[in-house]
Amino acid sequence: METRFNMGWTLIRGWAVLVYIFMFLPVAVVVLLSFNASQFGNFPMTGFSFRWFVELAGNEAILRAFRTSIILGLLTALISTTLGVLASLALVRYRVPGANAISTLLIAPILVPEVVLAVALLLFLNFLGVNKSFGLLLAGHVIFTLPFVILVVQARLVSIKRDVEEAAMSLGASPVQTFFQITLPLMMPAVLAGALFAFTISFDDITGTLFWKPGGVETVPTQIFAMLRNSISPEINALGTVMIVMTVGLPLLGAVIARAMARKSGT
Amino acid sequence: MSVEKREARQPWILLSPALTAVTLLLFVPLLFILVYSFWLRTATGADVAGFYLDNWQEALTDPFYRDILISTLRIAAITTVACAVMGYPSAYFIARSQGNKAVLLLLLMLPFWISYIIRTMSWINILGVSGALNSALMALGIISEPIQMLYNEVTVILGLVHFLLPFMILNIFVSLDGIDTNLENAANSLGATKWQAFLQVTLPLSLPGLAAGGLLCFVLGAGTYITPLVLGGPRDAMFANLVFEAIITQLNWPLGSALSLMLLAVLGALVMIYNRYLGMAQLMKGLG
Amino acid sequence: MTKKMDNTTRYERARERYMNGDLDRRSFLGLIGAAGLAYGVSTPFAKYAHAATTDQVRFDGWGGVVSEAFRKHAFDPYTGKTGIKVVDGTFGGGDEYLSRVKASQPGEYNIAHLSGVFDYARYHALGLSSELNEANIPNLEYVIPKLVDVFRGVSGGKLSCVPYDYGTTGLAYNRKYISDDEMQEKGAKILIDEAHKGKIAGWSDWRTRMWYAALQTGQNPNEISDEDAAWDAVRTHRDLSLKYWGSGAELMSLLAEEEIYATEAWSGRIYALQEQGHDIGYMDPPNGFGWQECLFVMKGSPMEACEELLNFMLAPETSIAVAEGQNYPTALDPTKVDLGDKIPTLPAFDPTGTLSGLTFADPDFWNGHEAAWSKTFGRVQKGY
Repeated sequence: METRFNMGWTLIRGWAVLVYIFMFLPVAVVVLLSFNASQFGNFPMTGFSFRWFVELAGNEAILRAFRTSIILGLLTALISTTLGVLASLALVRYRVPGANAISTLLIAPILVPEVVLAVALLLFLNFLGVNKSFGLLLAGHVIFTLPFVILVVQARLVSIKRDVEEAAMSLGASPVQTFFQITLPLMMPAVLAGALFAFTISFDDITGTLFWKPGGVETVPTQIFAMLRNSISPEINALGTVMIVMTVGLPLLGAVIARAMARKSGT
Repeated sequence: MSVEKREARQPWILLSPALTAVTLLLFVPLLFILVYSFWLRTATGADVAGFYLDNWQEALTDPFYRDILISTLRIAAITTVACAVMGYPSAYFIARSQGNKAVLLLLLMLPFWISYIIRTMSWINILGVSGALNSALMALGIISEPIQMLYNEVTVILGLVHFLLPFMILNIFVSLDGIDTNLENAANSLGATKWQAFLQVTLPLSLPGLAAGGLLCFVLGAGTYITPLVLGGPRDAMFANLVFEAIITQLNWPLGSALSLMLLAVLGALVMIYNRYLGMAQLMKGLG
Repeated sequence: MTKKMDNTTRYERARERYMNGDLDRRSFLGLIGAAGLAYGVSTPFAKYAHAATTDQVRFDGWGGVVSEAFRKHAFDPYTGKTGIKVVDGTFGGGDEYLSRVKASQPGEYNIAHLSGVFDYARYHALGLSSELNEANIPNLEYVIPKLVDVFRGVSGGKLSCVPYDYGTTGLAYNRKYISDDEMQEKGAKILIDEAHKGKIAGWSDWRTRMWYAALQTGQNPNEISDEDAAWDAVRTHRDLSLKYWGSGAELMSLLAEEEIYATEAWSGRIYALQEQGHDIGYMDPPNGFGWQECLFVMKGSPMEACEELLNFMLAPETSIAVAEGQNYPTALDPTKVDLGDKIPTLPAFDPTGTLSGLTFADPDFWNGHEAAWSKTFGRVQKGY
């Protein structure tokens, strides 16, 4: 290709690399500190040690919280993405009276400060006489991850041309067939992005979780929050490192799958 | 006729689960908050039921709340612009790169595996007087005394950008990825330069994603309270901090309710504007 | 011994009820209430939902080392003896916890590790206090009498809690930059000393701010008469401060990383820093802020089960383990109980068990000003 393009591309790539470095700075710090011998993160570091990993492996409370967070995140992603995709389809693919207003309503959960949402929901449940449960916690997480899914899926759906779907229909495909064979594959990146949003936001949520969690249920953020008064144990850094190592492995796996899928669909 | 009727019913079937969830778990509870905003908190801490306008009067007329609301919107706007400037080229890079896009996107979400509080506090290890940046600069001999970088509005915005940038990038990426690259090529073959093709074809088509990302960044930025608590100085509070303090610290739920409804109204108005805009973008696409 | 039998049989009965379909009724209610939304997923976790039945006692406290110590030394042995499960919850702060209690159903929360006598008074004023049968808590006799009496005074002779630990909010300073002599000379005024501008911090808590403002303006913290002078001192401190901290973790990192040289600080946190070799000094100025924490039993809790658990938690072994974990001395009287090697070295520790050197907040005075002062501080803090 011509050099002008390459220069522009080089600039863009350089910029993206800088952005990635910015995003990774805190990650790097946390990973480094998980090997730090002392408890506080003064630079330059004073010693190297695996002790926080050893302590983490023996800390049943943190590991249990970690499992709860993962399960909660996965369930939230599943439910929230399903609801979000259905709603986005309705809003973009059909002529719905008052679509703008409905869109706003569905995005409303992120407009309300989370503290308020948390207290409001509790007041309502008290009124009904319903006890806190894992189901309530899950429902709360679904509510405030839903807007993320809807926003990202809508934006993608808008850019998928109606013609393709209509062509499929005119060739005799049913609406359901059209959805699964044409529309869904085309909007897959948005569905996955929405699910990723939902999972990470649920995994990382603190305020709502504090209020909605039933007794005996702790997530990683609430565990950390409860440690704040006395001092956060570097075991949390070790947990972060373990997660990073795991997720660097996962994308590699994902890459293989994505490549296989791309080959099959022929794009 | 019956086909049309079915056609008209379908979207409501698709919408009903999401609408039911939002109604039950958000709007009905918000009605409680609305009712609460007309109650009064007494000095002993108990709430008096009734219809008092005191909280609303305080929330709407006191310059304290107005000032902080304005400064919150300003910080959210700066954050959004910074995210757009940093995010667009990155999203473009991911969408057009030959490498694996899924990996690049997942890498972007990696910082989220480290809990928000820890992530935010880790900036202290980076920018603090004995943090990584100051020690590096001193080791290189660029400075002799550590620079005080933390605990001001800039660090609050930095923390917010770090938190929100992935949302921006993912939204833009999803839009860009849906654009047929043949369109750009076609524009090129018609004599447009790469830059012109980008401005006239790619950028307009990716606007819905940019707008969605911008909306998310703005709204989430305006609603945070932990980042200013951890990275801000004494004066760097945002509106959600006021809500948090009213509800949690002062246990003044009536006032907290009024304040949060006020924030909700402002942000809700912005979303209405956004939705109208997105509607226009849709129309333009239909024409083109 | 009979007490044990009581609880055990009650547990059996509750379990039977649970097996016989009481659970279904609850799920059913939930089904109507949340229109089926909560049902599908809540059932497997429904056992968490009703901690108030006597097969379970709900405890809420600080996480990390504190909760580990409780689990190991009190909860597990207690469950082993009585068969009653302890459902363990955590909170990040007393205010946040109180809002959760306020939005809860009666009996949902049972025992909490609360700080301050004013917190006790607040719960009492909100009608959340219970009446303990002290005969069921034999270990209460080892507790420092002065600590118990303060609580009795608030709730008319009866107790709704047992004291658990105490500490001070004193002054911490980096000895590299501020000498012991300078501290002796300036005391609380070090926090409004122009010379350390930008290297000062403070807790973002209105009580602590006003307490220290009283000390800085030469007033008695328990009867501040010149409020304006006190608020001016709070403003001066704000303008010289780099940061208001909100948690022990932040406090320690600010000091350890030398972002700041002086702040008021929780005694136990500074001890932890000193333990790790940081050269941080700690002093309680005259009339420094003393406080105590308690294990509070909420109204509507299963009293006998809670009382027995309190007894386990007050046992010297548990008390010492928790105290060594969080570095605050236990409320047990050192003249009656051997507290081991570490506790006598903790700051604020009083070997005589009289605590005559500590000034505690007068709950009437402080709670009377709570509504107005917490709001005013909210504004002053933000530059108004």
